[in-house]
Amino acid sequence: MDSLNRIFWARQEIFIMKVYLPIVIGFLILLIGLAALFVVSFWWRHYRLWHLGKEENRFDQVAKRIKGTLAVVFANARIGKELYPGTFHFLIFWGAVLIFLGKFVRLFSYPVGLTDPPQSIFRYASFLSEIGALMAIVGACLAIFRRYILKPSRLETKPDNALIFVWGLTLLVTGFLAKGYRMSAVGVAVPPDWYTWAPVSYLISRLMLILPSTPLNELLVWHRAIIHALPALMLFTYVIVIRSPMQHWFLSPLNVYLRSLKTKGVLDPIPNFEEAETYGAKEISELTWKQLLDLEGCTNCGRCQDACPAHLTEKPLSPRRMTQNLKQHLWREGPKLLSLPPDQRSSEPIMETTVGDEELWACTTCMACEEACPVYVEQVRRNVELRRYLVLVETKFTSDIRLAFKNMQQTSNPWGLPRNTRTEWTKDLGIKKYAEETDPEILFWVGCAGSFDARNQKVATTLVKILQACGIRFGILGTAEGCCGDSARRMGNEYLFSTLAEGNIETMKGCNVKKILTMCPHCFHTLKHEYPQFGGEFEVLHYTQFLGDLLSQGRLKLTKPIEQVITYHDSCYLGRGNELYELPRRIIQSIPGLKLVEMERYGKKSFCCGAGGGRMWMEEKIGTRINQMRTDHAIETRAALVGTACPYCLTMLGDGVKEKGKEESMAVFDLSELVERSME
Amino acid sequence: MGTAFRLIAIVVEVVILMAVIYALFSAVMLTSLDFGLDQKYKKYIGRVMTIVGGLALIFFLGHLIAFYPRIPH
Repeated sequence: MDSLNRIFWARQEIFIMKVYLPIVIGFLILLIGLAALFVVSFWWRHYRLWHLGKEENRFDQVAKRIKGTLAVVFANARIGKELYPGTFHFLIFWGAVLIFLGKFVRLFSYPVGLTDPPQSIFRYASFLSEIGALMAIVGACLAIFRRYILKPSRLETKPDNALIFVWGLTLLVTGFLAKGYRMSAVGVAVPPDWYTWAPVSYLISRLMLILPSTPLNELLVWHRAIIHALPALMLFTYVIVIRSPMQHWFLSPLNVYLRSLKTKGVLDPIPNFEEAETYGAKEISELTWKQLLDLEGCTNCGRCQDACPAHLTEKPLSPRRMTQNLKQHLWREGPKLLSLPPDQRSSEPIMETTVGDEELWACTTCMACEEACPVYVEQVRRNVELRRYLVLVETKFTSDIRLAFKNMQQTSNPWGLPRNTRTEWTKDLGIKKYAEETDPEILFWVGCAGSFDARNQKVATTLVKILQACGIRFGILGTAEGCCGDSARRMGNEYLFSTLAEGNIETMKGCNVKKILTMCPHCFHTLKHEYPQFGGEFEVLHYTQFLGDLLSQGRLKLTKPIEQVITYHDSCYLGRGNELYELPRRIIQSIPGLKLVEMERYGKKSFCCGAGGGRMWMEEKIGTRINQMRTDHAIETRAALVGTACPYCLTMLGDGVKEKGKEESMAVFDLSELVERSME
Repeated sequence: MGTAFRLIAIVVEVVILMAVIYALFSAVMLTSLDFGLDQKYKKYIGRVMTIVGGLALIFFLGHLIAFYPRIPH
């Protein structure tokens, strides 16, 4: 180092040691206390808002919760479902982790004398930070390209996003520059292996050395400026970053930890129904604390919107928009509520101010949004809570919903057909009532579709023939069977649902029913997961499970070939709701000659037929019809057959094929019908 | 050139230090609000912080002018 540089650094040292360092040390001591205060205030602010909500227990099964959280946070489990955003998120996250680890080790290397000369651990830490920073920069560039160049429609870009990128890239780039400048200050006599421990900074330092000495000295001064800038940028973290979408660093893992561990799509009863003063959620404080946390845990990524059949068919509903609007509502009304005594709290209603009627009723409760969400935001329960308020308190719903309720109440089926005609389809089939069958193995729960809808009566008949052919001793409830109440519950009429459920449970207990076979996934889901809430504990199977068992036991043999190409439509309450994806496919693959081709959206990403959430009973007046969009997916596969295992899907897809004029080239069948055709 | 550059460097240092002060004060303000301080006091606290920030600015300017090393050529 030449004499001028020596003088320069000597003067620097005096300034740093006598003036700058004492200020910095004083600052740091104050900052540790302040940092603790900042962390506490962050959580206190959020806790106070969440505490406005109703009680809910999400503190059970700790080990399972931790395991899931670690998988999502560290392995980016659900985020990685989409390759491009999953990749850059992985790079940014792990880049940040490596930087932090490297800096942490290097910080503690100084007091224990591992830096002069630099020991192995110091060098490894340096390398870790360099690689981490590089990963984060590459990830950030990919993210910027996507947001500002590709501009996917589901992303909402605000000034906050630009600020986060500017902050992050400045922090990362100045880190490299500071190190590069420090290396260039040493000049050409750099230890030969520095380039392996700090490759990027080494490259920068070599670029600096091509400059003549005077500018180089000036650049060394800028090195100090950059070092000073780093704490400024770090402090900006609290002011701007923590109040921006970056809050998801802390809130999203918490939301994942406190996620629902119940089966997807299972709704909770209204506690103390008789004594409750109100039902559902009118105001923001009538949601549960977890539902309020969901609003803040949402990262605004828009994956739910891209999965939502209502949104994709131009209905006013976007799950992302609804969640973000409700979050703004919480931030607006929450502080007002907190400033009032608990017994005087009242805020503006959610409906009409934040959520529109058509937006809410467009939801088919298909759970595609929940499946797509990387941080487990629960939309379906919240939507039903809002519906409960409209139905049970304001009695505000359309005439078609009113008719469905009336029919379920008066005739115990949504079609409104006389109850005593429930068993007309059983003529000449020789089916016994459950109570009359000798030692029945199973109750065949037919459901309203199988009992009253002409197309689905054929499916019910087919199932009966399969059961009889396999020698299964079964019975039906006959006219004693009532609507399971799925539609009533999903449309928010919890009172009607509880009446129907309690009636059915009493009937089944009276007949000593233990095991139930359903043909409808909605009945299956409701009887299996929701009837226990009212004391109805039964073993419930969907027919695909039952037939799958019969196939494995060899009691059902499929020998007649069906030489056709089929595509299988996963119904929401069988697939996403109950994770039954493989069994129906195994049944298809057991049929000789049948070739399965998948639609683009299949399995967990299956696209709703449009009938769930009570929408079977509502007119679809806005945008494209959902069932037609799904039929288009099937047509794209060029399959001759569409298979499904749900009466609603069968109806909707059958209608879709007719509406598209494709009856000549495509037919929709229930899987049981294909099984019967192939049976020996 | 060296004098001009020293001036620019001092200005940059002051900007960075004031950014640190701004971030710190804003954080303290937001923390106070988070802990329940009424919104009506925000304006007055802001004014106090502006005055203290101004004093910090004078301090930093003075110290840097006095002690910032001269850049050798």
